[in-house]
Amino acid sequence: MEERLYDLIFIARPATPEDEIKKVISSIEHACTEKGGKIEKAEHWGTRKLAYRVAKHREGMYYYHQIRTTHGELITELERRLHVQDSVIKYLTIRLDEDLKRQKKLGDKREKRAARRPRRPAAAAPAPTPAPAPEQHASAS
Amino acid sequence: MAEEQKQGQAAPAEAPRAEGGGASGGGQGQGGHSGQGGHGGPGGGHGGPRREGGGPRREGGPGGGPGGPRRGKRQYFRKKKVCKFCVEKMDLIDYKRADILSQFVQERGKILPRRMTGVCARHQRWLGVAIKRARNIALLPFAGSAAGSTAPKAVEAHKS
Repeated sequence: MEERLYDLIFIARPATPEDEIKKVISSIEHACTEKGGKIEKAEHWGTRKLAYRVAKHREGMYYYHQIRTTHGELITELERRLHVQDSVIKYLTIRLDEDLKRQKKLGDKREKRAARRPRRPAAAAPAPTPAPAPEQHASAS
Repeated sequence: MAEEQKQGQAAPAEAPRAEGGGASGGGQGQGGHSGQGGHGGPGGGHGGPRREGGGPRREGGPGGGPGGPRRGKRQYFRKKKVCKFCVEKMDLIDYKRADILSQFVQERGKILPRRMTGVCARHQRWLGVAIKRARNIALLPFAGSAAGSTAPKAVEAHKS
């Protein structure tokens, strides 16, 4: 199975003690090492206001991880673990690699086009704004 | 992409000034993008009847361009909206950037239509996905539950 990249965000209750959070994070890390995943990024976004109430909270602590894995079961396992944690009020896993692939493809395409462009004005299609005006003048006169 | 769009924008404005029949020349210059330029015109017309009325008589596009000012009926000039994501050459709309996404939703969380924001079809598609993801992780509100603390109060007030 090919390698996939996932985003994993979870929101903890605003007043969770730090060691509780550490427990959650270490359980994520543990699951990753066990099932053959790699944590590429781990960020703490701090306490943010939630856009709507979640479990009667208006604020939450956001934790963000990026995980690369070839085993899809890892994600189900992570979601299961987050689900049973009382301190975690919301979580989200999103598959990223397809979007990134598309981004890369489009970026390459753009680069190619940019590389081609300098040559083109001399050959067929001139830079549209200056060129049509003289042509019109010629036809008018 | 962005450059071509700008040219497409500039061409219809310049063509009528040079001469009335210059629209054909402009069309040649624009090539495939003449469709887009034309789209901007009627698109504005669509928005027109709803918001300020009087749009439907005038045809948009390069032909309507010179007609408007001559008749003197055009009281406002609608600036052609350009897709913000195309200008910035964004190939990926990150759902985590709530600050960007919030520009494209109403206060109550509704996704703004393309005709209001000028986002191109492709980016609107991605934008919709990104907004829905952001909603899922409470970065953006779902429609209905506006700005955190205000909405529930309003509901309570309604009840009492």
